[in-house]
Amino acid sequence: MAAITCQGLTKRYGGVTAVQALDLAIAEGEFMVLLGPSGCGKTTTLNMIAGLEEISDGTLLFDTRDVTRLPPHKREVAMVFQSYALYPNKTVAQNIGFPLKLRGVAPAEIARAVAEVAEQLELTALLERRPNQLSGGQRQRVALGRAIVRHPSVFLMDEPLSNLDATLRLSMRSLIKRLHHKLRATFVYVTHDQAEALTLADRIAVMQGGVIQQLDTPEGIYERPANTFVASFLGSPQINLLRQGLPRPGWVPAGREVVIGLRPEDVARPGDGLVTLSGRVELVSPLGSETQLELSVGEATLTLRVPKDWRVAEGETLDVGVDPARLHVFDAATTMRIAP
Amino acid sequence: MLARFSYDDRSAALLVLPVMAVLLVVAAFPILYSFWVSLHDIVLTRPLRRPFVGLENYWRMLGDARFHTAVLRTTVYTVVTVGVTTVLAVGVALLLNENFRGNKLLNTLLLLPWATPSIVNGLMWKWIYDPTYGLLNAVLLKLGLIEHYRAWLGDPDLTLLLISNAAIWKQMPLAALLLIVTMKAIPDDLYRAAKVDGATVVQRFVHVTLPALRPGLMLVLVYETMISIRHFDLFLIMTQGGPGDASYTLSWLIYVETFRSLRFGTGAALSYLLAMLTFLLSWLFIRAFGERNG
Repeated sequence: MAAITCQGLTKRYGGVTAVQALDLAIAEGEFMVLLGPSGCGKTTTLNMIAGLEEISDGTLLFDTRDVTRLPPHKREVAMVFQSYALYPNKTVAQNIGFPLKLRGVAPAEIARAVAEVAEQLELTALLERRPNQLSGGQRQRVALGRAIVRHPSVFLMDEPLSNLDATLRLSMRSLIKRLHHKLRATFVYVTHDQAEALTLADRIAVMQGGVIQQLDTPEGIYERPANTFVASFLGSPQINLLRQGLPRPGWVPAGREVVIGLRPEDVARPGDGLVTLSGRVELVSPLGSETQLELSVGEATLTLRVPKDWRVAEGETLDVGVDPARLHVFDAATTMRIAP
Repeated sequence: MLARFSYDDRSAALLVLPVMAVLLVVAAFPILYSFWVSLHDIVLTRPLRRPFVGLENYWRMLGDARFHTAVLRTTVYTVVTVGVTTVLAVGVALLLNENFRGNKLLNTLLLLPWATPSIVNGLMWKWIYDPTYGLLNAVLLKLGLIEHYRAWLGDPDLTLLLISNAAIWKQMPLAALLLIVTMKAIPDDLYRAAKVDGATVVQRFVHVTLPALRPGLMLVLVYETMISIRHFDLFLIMTQGGPGDASYTLSWLIYVETFRSLRFGTGAALSYLLAMLTFLLSWLFIRAFGERNG
C-alpha cells in the first residue's frame, strides 16, 4: 500500500495543457475516483501516476518516494484498462502470470499465485482459454487478476467497466468494491459514470479542463457541489439550475445575481416550512419506483422526481413544496457555491 | 431443376457467368492443357509425333542432375531472399510505425523500388555490378575495400546473393507495407499494459508485436516465397543461369527446357513440380503462422 501525493502535476502537449498544476493527496488504502467528462484530464492524470505519460511539471510521490521520473515497472503499480488489454496469444493463466514471469518468479510459484487469483475471481475453469473465447465480463476479471497477482501497492483503473453491459457492470462494480475491502490497497479509478463514482469512492475528484473542480466524499459532492459544473455533472436527471423561477433563500444578499439549484428529488407535498411552487404538468414519465415529470412554473421548466403514488396526469396543475434549506445557491458570475 | 434455386441464386449465377466463362478460358484451360502436355512427349522440332508417356516426364526430370542443381540454387535463393526481405521488412515497419518528423515522406520513398518495373530493376542492378563502369566497383575502390574493378556477377560464390540483393531491393517495400498495416492494428493499450507489467522494449516486441504480426508475417512469407521461388526476370537479365550453373534455378531450367530445347512436355512437367513445391511451402507457412483459434 502507498499514499499518493501529486504536487502541481502538469501535462502539456505542445501548446495544449491537458492537466494544470494538479494537487491531490490520496491516502494509503483509499479508493479515489477521478470523475469527469471526456477530455477533462482524468485519464492523463492516471497515466502520469502510472508512468505512461511523462510529467511536464510537478512532483509525484508514493509515500515519501519521488517517482516523478521512474518508469512504470519501477513504480509497483498495476493497471486495468477499458479495453482489458489482454495478450491475445496467451491463455488466461499466462495472462495472469505474465507480470510474475517478467519478474523472474519460478514457474511453480507463478502457477500457485495464478491458481489463487483464479479461485478468487472464479476463473479456475477458464485458465486454458484464450481471451477471444471469453465474454466481456470474464475478460475484465482476467485483467483484474493480472493486476492483483503481484500484490501492487497501487491499483489504477481506467474506465474498466465502460465496455460492459448494464447488468454486468453492476456485478463487476460489486466485485471491485469487495476487492478493495479485501486488499486494502490504494485504488485510483477513472470514470465518467457518476453512479460508479458515487458507489465505489471513498472520495471523488471531479475534473474539468485539466483542473480539479471539487474533491470530497460522494455525499459531500452531491449535497454540497462546489460550483454549477459539479452540481450539473452529478445527479440524474440533472439538477435544475435557474436564475429565476425558484424561491430565493432569505440569507442571499439582496441584489446579488445568483443561480438557484434544485435537485429533482428535493420536492414534497406542500406543507409547513416549505415554499409552494405551482405549475402545469407538461410531461409524465413513469420510472417504476417513482415518476419523473416536467413542470412549467412561469417561464421555467423544472424536471422533478416524485413518488409514484402522487398519480399525476399531464396537463393538470400541480403544487409542490420546496424546502429552502435544500436549495443550492451559486454566484451567477463565478458559478461558485455560496453558503449562508 | 432450376426451380430448386431461389430467384436471388439464379440472378447471382447469371451475373457471375461471364466472369466464370473468362476464367475458364484464361485460367482453367491453360492449367488443364499444360497438365495434358506434361503427360506427353512433345518436342517442337518434331511437332507431329506426340506420344502419351504418362508420368515419365516427371520421373525423368526428378532423376536429372540439372534438376537437382536447380532445386539447390532455387532453395538458396529463396531462403536468402525471403529471409532477408522479411527481417528487413520487420525492421523498416518498426521504424516507420513510430511517429517522427519526415515519417510520411519516408513512407512514400519506401514505395519507389516496389513501383520500379522488374526489367528496370534488373538492368539497374546489372549496371551497378558491372565490371567496367559499375557503381559498386567505384564505391568500393574509393573506400579502399578493393584494389581493382571486379566482375561481381562472374563470381559463382556471389552470383545468387547479388541477384537476391536486387530482388530484396524491390520486394522489401511491399512486405514492410503489409507489416506496417498489421502493426497499426495492434492496440496501444497492449503496449501500455506490458510496460506496467514490467516488460522491456525487447520483451514488448516478443510478447506483443511478434504475436500480433503473425497474420502479416504469414502473408509476407507466403507471398515472398511464391514470388522468389518462381523468379525469372532477374536471372534472364543479369546472368542467364551462369556463370556455369551458379544461378541455374528451377525457373531458368523450365525456360531452357521449354524455349531453348523446345521440349514442351518436360517443361510442363517441371512447371507442375514447381507449382507443387510452391503449394507445399505456402501450406506449411499457413499451418505454422495461421490463426489457431479460428
